[in-house]
Amino acid sequence: MMVLVVLLGVVVALLAVLVVGLLRTHAEILRRLHELGAGVYDDSAPAGPVALSAPGAAPLRTQPGVAEPRTSETSAFDLSGTTPDGATAVIGVVDRPHTTLLAFLSSGCTTCRGFWDAFADGEANELPGLDTHLVVVTKGPQNESMSKVAELARDRVRTVMSSQAWADYGVPVSPYFVLADGRTGRVLGEGSGTTWAQVAGLLEQACADAGLDPAGGRRTRALGPNGPAREQRADEELARAGIGPGHPSLYGQTTLDDQGPDDLIEPVEPVVNGSDGADAG
Amino acid sequence: MTRLSAHGLSAEVRRGWDGEIYLRTPETSVATGSSAPNQANATGSTMVAYPVLQLANFALPSQRGDFGGGAVELMGAHNLFVSLFEYGPESVGTALFAPQGTPWPLSPDAFGPNRLQRPLPGQGGAQRFFSRAGRPFCLYVVLGSYLLRRATLRQLNHALQTVTIT
Repeated sequence: MMVLVVLLGVVVALLAVLVVGLLRTHAEILRRLHELGAGVYDDSAPAGPVALSAPGAAPLRTQPGVAEPRTSETSAFDLSGTTPDGATAVIGVVDRPHTTLLAFLSSGCTTCRGFWDAFADGEANELPGLDTHLVVVTKGPQNESMSKVAELARDRVRTVMSSQAWADYGVPVSPYFVLADGRTGRVLGEGSGTTWAQVAGLLEQACADAGLDPAGGRRTRALGPNGPAREQRADEELARAGIGPGHPSLYGQTTLDDQGPDDLIEPVEPVVNGSDGADAG
Repeated sequence: MTRLSAHGLSAEVRRGWDGEIYLRTPETSVATGSSAPNQANATGSTMVAYPVLQLANFALPSQRGDFGGGAVELMGAHNLFVSLFEYGPESVGTALFAPQGTPWPLSPDAFGPNRLQRPLPGQGGAQRFFSRAGRPFCLYVVLGSYLLRRATLRQLNHALQTVTIT
């Protein structure tokens, strides 16, 4: 009888250890699920999309301490602010036939430095999307050093300093990227990253999710659709057709119903003050 | 619309348009009394910078000239570019700037394909010199298509009507 009681006690003890182990494992699983945003009590919590999310993308949650993008579809806004060289500027984003990539950077953050350098080095010359234009947005001069931003921007990328833009787009942290569709006035994707290569990959994904062909809509800023290569090719084709500079067909005067002879002979009005004249237009 | 205002110039910028008001590169001048900011250089002569207002219904590049060099090459048929360029006060009272008041609205016959400083195929341009509020200006406009100028003029004149000079 004594032996039986001892055996029963041992079995109960083993079962107790097993149950405790199972409970610990279950608790660990629940903790991991909670961190991933799929916990059993997370039904009422908003599902935070991962960086550069697009409508329809799988709902995920960023790591603790990393800001989450908005969960609802967001409107795009035009930008209004100051350029690093002191000009007052408005940059259109909506009602445009192309997409615009807004890079919200600051002059102080270490991660942003990599993006400033990438843009200055031309790494972002090829952008996914629909003839995508890149605009760098920093906070306004009251929050940023204009001289520092001017030094980082290096004239290669359009840069505007606008705290209002940060507020309009609800930018939570820098660096932060927003891809806006000018045709629809909506944000296609947004989020953050640590390197330009990472952000570019996420951009392509956002474009694909939005139905844009990332490769087909790719835009080369250095040799854009109106770049020197195209101009040279057009000149060569015109030359082969016997059309050179000053050829009447370039001005279409034979098809203009209201163009008088003065239109063809009137010289450009004189320019005063030496070099103050029109420079290239 | 967004109001763009600086250096005594202002304009309403429509949705999707670009606009900018900046001070162009200072030049040596003996003139004084301008509303534009002045700076004294090391030699004691006055370096004067006068403003330029630019409007465009397309994305302006970061590097471009006062009269659109570097930008007009990117224009499509329905695009337009406006530059309102202020000269120094020494130009006030000269014959070129004798017309008083703003020259807009512009009519279709104000434009010509040969009125561009650097003619580009298909484009049309107009240039008007005038004085307003004691300040001499040149209004320079480029249309992406001379043939479609009547359609573009409506947008242009709507934009110009919002420009004020004080």
